[in-house]
Amino acid sequence: MKIDKLIIGIIILALLVGLPLILAQPEEPKEKTIIINAKQFSYTPDTVEVNRGDRVTIRLISTDVHHGLYIDGYEVSTDARPGQDGSLTFVANNTGKFVMRCSVTCGPFHPYMIGYLKVKPDYRLFGSIWLAVGIFICSILLVSRRQKQ
Amino acid sequence: MTEKILGLIPVDWRFELTSLPYVRKIIKSRWMPFLPIVLNLSVFTVILMAGFVGGVSAGNYNFGIMFVWIVWWLLLMMVMVPFFSRVWCMICPLPAFGEWLQRLGFMKVRNKLFGLNKKWPKALKNMWLVNFLFLGTTYTTGFLTTRPIATFILLMSIIIGSIVLMAVFEKRNFCKYIGCPVGGFLGLYSNIAVTEIRAKDPQICKDHKHKDCVIGNEKGHACPWMILPFDIGRNTYCGMCLECFKTCPYDNMAINLRPPATDLLVDKNRGLDEAWKAFIMLGIAIFFFLIMQGNMGFLKDWANATTTEGYLTFVALHSIFNLLLIPGVFFVFVYASRTLGNKEIPLKKLFTNFSYTLVPMGLIAWIAFSFGILFPNSSYVLHVISDPFAWGWDLFGTSHFPWTPFLTGVMPYFQIGTLLFGLVLSLDIGFKISKQTFQKRDQAVRGFIPIAAFLTVVTIFLIWLFTG
Amino acid sequence: MEKKQITEIIAAILVLLATVGVIGAALLYDEHLWGGLRTIELTAQAPERGNWNIQEIHLVRGEPVRIKIRNIDTVSHGFAIPELGISLNGTGEIKPGNVGVIEFTPEKTGDFLFTCTTWCSTQHMQMTGRIIISEK
Repeated sequence: MKIDKLIIGIIILALLVGLPLILAQPEEPKEKTIIINAKQFSYTPDTVEVNRGDRVTIRLISTDVHHGLYIDGYEVSTDARPGQDGSLTFVANNTGKFVMRCSVTCGPFHPYMIGYLKVKPDYRLFGSIWLAVGIFICSILLVSRRQKQ
Repeated sequence: MTEKILGLIPVDWRFELTSLPYVRKIIKSRWMPFLPIVLNLSVFTVILMAGFVGGVSAGNYNFGIMFVWIVWWLLLMMVMVPFFSRVWCMICPLPAFGEWLQRLGFMKVRNKLFGLNKKWPKALKNMWLVNFLFLGTTYTTGFLTTRPIATFILLMSIIIGSIVLMAVFEKRNFCKYIGCPVGGFLGLYSNIAVTEIRAKDPQICKDHKHKDCVIGNEKGHACPWMILPFDIGRNTYCGMCLECFKTCPYDNMAINLRPPATDLLVDKNRGLDEAWKAFIMLGIAIFFFLIMQGNMGFLKDWANATTTEGYLTFVALHSIFNLLLIPGVFFVFVYASRTLGNKEIPLKKLFTNFSYTLVPMGLIAWIAFSFGILFPNSSYVLHVISDPFAWGWDLFGTSHFPWTPFLTGVMPYFQIGTLLFGLVLSLDIGFKISKQTFQKRDQAVRGFIPIAAFLTVVTIFLIWLFTG
Repeated sequence: MEKKQITEIIAAILVLLATVGVIGAALLYDEHLWGGLRTIELTAQAPERGNWNIQEIHLVRGEPVRIKIRNIDTVSHGFAIPELGISLNGTGEIKPGNVGVIEFTPEKTGDFLFTCTTWCSTQHMQMTGRIIISEK
């Protein structure tokens, strides 16, 4: 039983040590301009990664039909027709993954036309993984503890 | 000491919902569930008509697509299955025509059913057929959820198939084993439901030699789902048709409130068919997410059959992932569990028993997935109820309501919250199953660790996939 | 009649209402909604999927008419008769699954072009038709 506890102790320690490393603010905020090409039914690039605090401008270019771009959480949107680009600007204050979805019905797969905006550092992801591991460890501890009684 | 679900509610805690006299009266009336079925039928008439006139037009503005794949699917996964078991089967209008044909009437009781009344072959009395049927149906998800006519074809084939097959095979064999793509997971996932239909006092049933619920009487039909109402055990195959409430001369049937997931602890009739159902459902939730809410354009082209090769690649990958890869990975963890726990327990038994931990995990994965549809896309429903056939109507004044996503900022937290709750529930069930399977407590603890690790890994993977 | 038979008949009527009744009511309502004025029903689809269902519309000068444009496509479309200065209100766009309605009385005779006004596909420019207005 002692070894078990030692292992669990090491895991918890590793998690705690890892915490500040991952939460550390990586870079100074910057101006970023990103060009996204929209085509039935995907965006290129399909994932946009920025850092917290960045001022992000997205230029949307459509190469086939009328497309849109709506960003979950930030609730901003723009649209583009071939030859008529769209653009939007926002400050990436919320971290995590946000879905960018097409906001103009563009074809059968329109509801599935999706890209991701990832604002780093993703506290939410790290926090929830940490919670899941915590739940795992607690459950093992709980069932082992009852055993001794 | 009785076990407690999540350490809170004793496994055998029950509260009878049908104890109120007028509730019981409604349940015992032959108008129930006939009236809800007919009401539901009228909605399905609109769905079918909208699917038919909608053709290949945009699915997101089609009543049929929206009501089947958003309203119905979300209600099913988020409300009906977790809270009311197979209540959908109670009110499902699709096999109603077949059943009315068998009974040669709508309300009357006819103990000699019309039709060939063939028995269902014993070898097929399991979930394998519906496993493949559902997996097969998901191959066409790119069409079903985007082309109104595809939904029309699917629903019509279920209706016509049910009429034909119910004329051949007796009672509800169609729903149970052959024709309903969703029947399998409704059955398996209903094991989690917080409601159940059971006999009130088993002693009364024991003393009652003439089992009216099984053979029927002038008040009601013999159990159409061909189970033993006096000994239901698990919700899996109880279609909640309420016939046993009508046939029971002692009024001994009840709808109970109970703690969640208790049926998963019933160590009877477990099987590999249900294990695979659990794998397939988990895999489909992942694949559906990738197709519908993922960022990989090529996968959408595959599912949309832009090229034949792409489509076949999708079908192949989807099948291998669900039928082999998930069970394969799970097998490794079960093997580890046996090595740590007790090598004398048959591997098959461990594999089957532990696979039931994936039932809460799977349902929760589907609920988390459904949040990703609910918040961004449910506003379409307002449009389609005002103009169901795209004929320029404006029944409720909402036909020009624009697509409005809501709460998309907090959506990930809903998903993470449900997934973590799912982890807690499946770990709880996992350890109970472990104790049941290994018998000895120390073995159970050691054998539980790899399974718990697997469940945690799956949860983390899903959190990462959905929100990270 | 026996009570059982009566309930059976009521049940049968309910089932009929839920199926044939719903379809009938929908058709009647639609008839009622669009009755009266002469209505031309255009369905809009991008050229590669079938284009306008009617390529030539014949109208009579001085006779009021309603053009109902049903977008049964998967992308947005528009409708205009530039030479007559007729176009849709608002954004001028009809979303998929939506319907646009234009009511007007032709004032002059001739052969005019009607066209989609939204960039709906690479063949958008071919999405046109003719309106021929003649004397009575």
